[in-house]
Amino acid sequence: MNCETAAALLPELIDARTDAAAHVEVRQHLAHCPHCQREFSDLRRTLAALEEAAPLPSSALRRNFYAMLEEEKHSAASAAVARPRSIFSSRWGWLLAPALAAITLLAGFQLGARFGTTPPATAPVVTDDATRRELAALRQQVGQMSQLVGYSLLQQQQGPANERLREVLVAAQAEKPGAKILDELIVALAFDPSANIRLRALEALYAHSDNAAVRAGVVAALPREQNPLVQLELIDFVATAREREAAPLLERMSREDSLDQSVRAAARRALAQL
Amino acid sequence: MATDTEQRSDHDLMLAVRHGELDALGELFERHHSRLFGFLAQLTGQPAVAEDLAQTVFQRMLKYRHTYRDDGRFTAWMYHLARRCAADHFRKTGAAPRATDPGVLDELADESPHAGHQAASRDDRALLQTALNQLDRDDREVLLLSRFEELSFAEIAHLLECSVGAAKVRAHRALGELRTVYFQLLKSR
Repeated sequence: MNCETAAALLPELIDARTDAAAHVEVRQHLAHCPHCQREFSDLRRTLAALEEAAPLPSSALRRNFYAMLEEEKHSAASAAVARPRSIFSSRWGWLLAPALAAITLLAGFQLGARFGTTPPATAPVVTDDATRRELAALRQQVGQMSQLVGYSLLQQQQGPANERLREVLVAAQAEKPGAKILDELIVALAFDPSANIRLRALEALYAHSDNAAVRAGVVAALPREQNPLVQLELIDFVATAREREAAPLLERMSREDSLDQSVRAAARRALAQL
Repeated sequence: MATDTEQRSDHDLMLAVRHGELDALGELFERHHSRLFGFLAQLTGQPAVAEDLAQTVFQRMLKYRHTYRDDGRFTAWMYHLARRCAADHFRKTGAAPRATDPGVLDELADESPHAGHQAASRDDRALLQTALNQLDRDDREVLLLSRFEELSFAEIAHLLECSVGAAKVRAHRALGELRTVYFQLLKSR
């Protein structure tokens, strides 16, 4: 074997996926050829440099990922509530929907025939068990519909996440924010369903950590918070602001097994700082 | 909970994500984000862009989770999405990778315990990225994909839509080219 043929196969020898028994002739040539040994060594050095040159991501990638995940979980939960799985979406939905409509129509006729002659000012006295059950089922359906409509209205009031974020950012940019704006930020921190928005609200509140109401708001938000990333930022806030009121809460958090390990450690560190 | 996820394979975790257990993606992120970021950073030569692209890859995992197949391999799927994201980026910007300024690498958070030692080789890292940027984009891509030994050449071939033999030849030829450019730059330094 000559050097030219061997050199073409050297990258394959370096590859860990190549069978150790493969290319016996190249290996034999390599054992006795100083030129190919240099070539082989250079390739290994290049590969090692390629490994070492891979940079590490900044902590922003992790922070952004978990904020995005929280956002997605919230959206998925909202979608699940807004669009409960219906039997009509099943394979037999096309058959069930008209059948149920017909049954409802018949039930309507029956109820109409039974109570149609009763004076409208007085409520009918229902003595028949079957009718009572039917009425109870109808009331339950109406109740469920009301809940669903109520939830949808609440979602509309809250607006999409990006609009809420814009509001938080506008509030944060106010040069001398009044008590109302600070209140809005504290409310967003405590109640907004998006971790991303809660983080931005907290970021904005940092500039006002000397305000007792802000510190109290942050301490109040801490036990409500479920997201470890936001918990860590909240702990960082109370430690930086030297908010001693948070000490009993941090003490509890440092011993709470259900919390993330990093959150417990951060609570311990913050306690030492206070 | 932690021990439960540690025992689950990447594939099982992704199937769980597909079935609505979105938290399982957190474990997959922890396992793979550094490698994925490294791939994208070296492919684009722009770490800041790579962070955005890596985030987009995980976003697309959520968005397209229903398309993950029962017989799929998570890493192959992840790099498939990463290639698509990078291709979108190159198409939008019409960008060739830029020579990496060592200052850009300095901006990256290096939280490893050997950060001091790594600082010494920062120039070498920038030099290697410069060499990498001089390769044809397809060669750079196949070389970086082949660097991840968790991907088989069959999977790389599938990603690149070529034969296994062609994928091997391209990867090994690209390594040879990188070696040539890298050593030229080292000598001219």
